[in-house]
Amino acid sequence: MHNFLPLFKGEIQRLVKYKILQIALLVTVMWLAILFLIGEESVAEFVPLFIFMDATLMTVMLVGANLFYEKQENTLKTLLITPSGFAALMMSKFLSAIVLSFQSAAVISLFAYFIFGVSVSFGWLFIFVALITFMHTALGFVLTVFAKDFTGLLALLIAYMFFFAFPTIFYALGVFGETAELWLMFSPTHASMLLIEFSYGLDVRTVLIPIGAIYLVLVGAALTKWIVVPKYVETAVRE
Amino acid sequence: MPKTPVFEVKDLRFTYRKSSIEAVAGISFTVHEGEVFGLLGPSGAGKSTTQKILTKLYTDYQGDIQYLGKDLSSYSNDYYEDIGVGFELPVHFSKLTGMENMKFFSELYKSRADIEPLMKMVGLHEDKDRLVGEYSKGMKMRLNFVRALLNNPKVLFLDEVTNGLDPKNARIIKDAIRAFKENGGTVFLSTHLMNDVEELCDRVAFIRRGEIVEIATPRELKIKHGRREVKVEYFNNGKTDEATFELDGIGDNEDFTKLLKEKTIETIHSGETSMDEIFIAVTGEEIDRGDDVDA
Repeated sequence: MHNFLPLFKGEIQRLVKYKILQIALLVTVMWLAILFLIGEESVAEFVPLFIFMDATLMTVMLVGANLFYEKQENTLKTLLITPSGFAALMMSKFLSAIVLSFQSAAVISLFAYFIFGVSVSFGWLFIFVALITFMHTALGFVLTVFAKDFTGLLALLIAYMFFFAFPTIFYALGVFGETAELWLMFSPTHASMLLIEFSYGLDVRTVLIPIGAIYLVLVGAALTKWIVVPKYVETAVRE
Repeated sequence: MPKTPVFEVKDLRFTYRKSSIEAVAGISFTVHEGEVFGLLGPSGAGKSTTQKILTKLYTDYQGDIQYLGKDLSSYSNDYYEDIGVGFELPVHFSKLTGMENMKFFSELYKSRADIEPLMKMVGLHEDKDRLVGEYSKGMKMRLNFVRALLNNPKVLFLDEVTNGLDPKNARIIKDAIRAFKENGGTVFLSTHLMNDVEELCDRVAFIRRGEIVEIATPRELKIKHGRREVKVEYFNNGKTDEATFELDGIGDNEDFTKLLKEKTIETIHSGETSMDEIFIAVTGEEIDRGDDVDA
């Protein structure tokens, strides 16, 4: 892991040079504008939703964009033939994605706090945003490896969201009973939303919070170990 | 004094997961310190696979590879401190400048070469602050070469290193390879450009369908596959004629000496076979002049 710092520095440099950070900031500004238009009455319900969108959907898309660039430029392989080690390489990518989510979560939360007085537990928020981003970065890698191009990635992402979002929507509409929520925790989408809502002090079953957090870590770790690592190497070497 | 072996490869075999055919089918060879060793062969012959195994990108091979007397698989990532790899395709971040790319990669090594002189050496110094995306293919290939030298490697793996370069820039790279060798470096060169082979390689191995079919020096190959004859072109009655003579006993060949005395000679060539012809003779295939996308 001795090369983690230069790799991480390189990731951040590329986020700026490839304008990924700027795009992420632009999206954050867009969320702020929408919050401003929504007004004080409903803003508390939308703030967690926007942070959730950034940590999940945006993470997958930005990881995908980053990885497609690297595939296109054949840089995956050249990083593998450095003394860095694969763990440091992966860690730098995960951490740079978490940095992007942090900037968005921080800006949106501070805006909501100072303008509308929406309170939040920053400690929990950043812990959970990190876990959610970790899991969705791994998902972003998986979808990118299987997608032919960026459009393919978007199609897979939409399919994923539909598959996991619908049960949550049905639950919110009261189609399922309360006991169904335990099963819904198997949906990373539902678990992620619940963790962010908890950070904002919304009415959630606290017993589900550790389950959701552990579940996201396990899914992220499993995706990384069994899909991301072997497929990343395979893709890189095939270049 | 015998040279130290850098790589000793014995009965190396490799099969891709979804294939039943061996991509590398039991090859053995030794690469010595300070040697430029060429691996030649048609597309899909197993050149790139062999290089990927030696650069530890493929690890599930069979057979034995010793690097400096130690099993290659026993080396950790520190192995990459010793080697530099020049890929066939550009491998840089296009939205970073040439210098930013080199600085990023350089920081990943313990031993770091001075980047500025390397950029000067390949004629990229003036363009070092331009985005790589604005570079021509030739410039990107030269940057690839600098990338390979960033860590002061002991061994260079070069894949089609002069492909796409104009003669002037190809010369710069070839001179740099020679200088690297003269400083004790070892080069593993994979190419289909026979001109490079003739100029650079101390020994070459021809690989066909995963098997090495011939290993020799370029000179040995030329003698073995050459025609022992002398071809003379001479001026005769207002036009150019030619005559061919057996090389053996040419000093006693009266027709030959008479021709030399009586005619105006335009050219004399021994029946040397070109490396192109040797390639075709040994591998049984035409040289792929396009971009080699070897398996």
